[in-house]
Amino acid sequence: MRPHFERLYRLAWRLTGQKAEAEDLFQELLIKAFGKTDDLMHIDEPGSWLSRMMYNLFIDERRRFARHRMQTVEEGHMSGEGIEGLPGGHNTALDHERYERLKMLDKALSQLSDEHRLIVLLHDTEGYKMTEIQELIGVPVGTVKSRLHRARARLREILSADGTFF
Amino acid sequence: MPNQHENQQDQEILELLKDYPMPEAAAGFFDQALVRATHEGSRRQRNRWLMTGFGSAVAAGLVLWMIGGFLLTTPDLPVPDATIPGITMTLEEPRTVNLVFASAEALDAATLTVTLPEGIEMSGFPGQREITWQTSLNAGKNLLPLKLIATSPLGGEVYATLRHDDRGRTFRLRIDVS
Repeated sequence: MRPHFERLYRLAWRLTGQKAEAEDLFQELLIKAFGKTDDLMHIDEPGSWLSRMMYNLFIDERRRFARHRMQTVEEGHMSGEGIEGLPGGHNTALDHERYERLKMLDKALSQLSDEHRLIVLLHDTEGYKMTEIQELIGVPVGTVKSRLHRARARLREILSADGTFF
Repeated sequence: MPNQHENQQDQEILELLKDYPMPEAAAGFFDQALVRATHEGSRRQRNRWLMTGFGSAVAAGLVLWMIGGFLLTTPDLPVPDATIPGITMTLEEPRTVNLVFASAEALDAATLTVTLPEGIEMSGFPGQREITWQTSLNAGKNLLPLKLIATSPLGGEVYATLRHDDRGRTFRLRIDVS
């Protein structure tokens, strides 16, 4: 499982939006996977299998994660809270204008629906293929494409409405 | 169709999204998570009286009952959902279903709730669709006989939910009535 940890942690982060919940979700996944090591040995693509298990775990316990998110929001980061606390937030390599744009993007992402935000982040930030997203969230590729299209259009709309961005 | 300006905006957004930051896991987090998972996974396996054991044990209980009292006299019926164990009852004829709970350890104050569909009653509880009581489980197999009576030909599903502390599992049993 170890080679998949980094990618799984990133998925946990993209799903939950903050550190404490990402760590909880990752931990729960490992515990659950512990009882299925026999299955894991016979799976061709354990990374996809584990990702799907994590996604299902997140969906099954979404209420729990949402509740925690409200209680511990200051402990981590969610879209729209600003990017100052994140790596790159103070990166001097980022010019000021780009940094400001990232802040605007962060705010705009927070205004998307959960579904749209997740697909944009998985596809455009994490580099997931359409088929990987299809497999992960269990909707047809056509639906993934249309959601991605609508999510990007909505981002453009939000960012264009703010005269400072474009 | 997006125009050229929109395409340019899309491109800018895509470039920004590629830079959208995310914190890395704390140093040692993966190692600690693995240790915790091993420990917790072992503990859960030790303590399990969970559905895997529960479901198969119940099924085993049903098989024993079916062989003993039912299959000899009634032909097999098609099973609508093969994942749910099922039995066929005769209208107004009491049948005992043996539920078997497997527990790795003795458990006090477990709560069992049986939910019945309309037209199926539990002997001693006429007209009640939900019956809850506390029970204790011994280590090993625990047999719980439920005496059911079909009062209408509707059939349906019986749910038996066992809870202890924050853990709980539900078993479904499909009942057809002939």
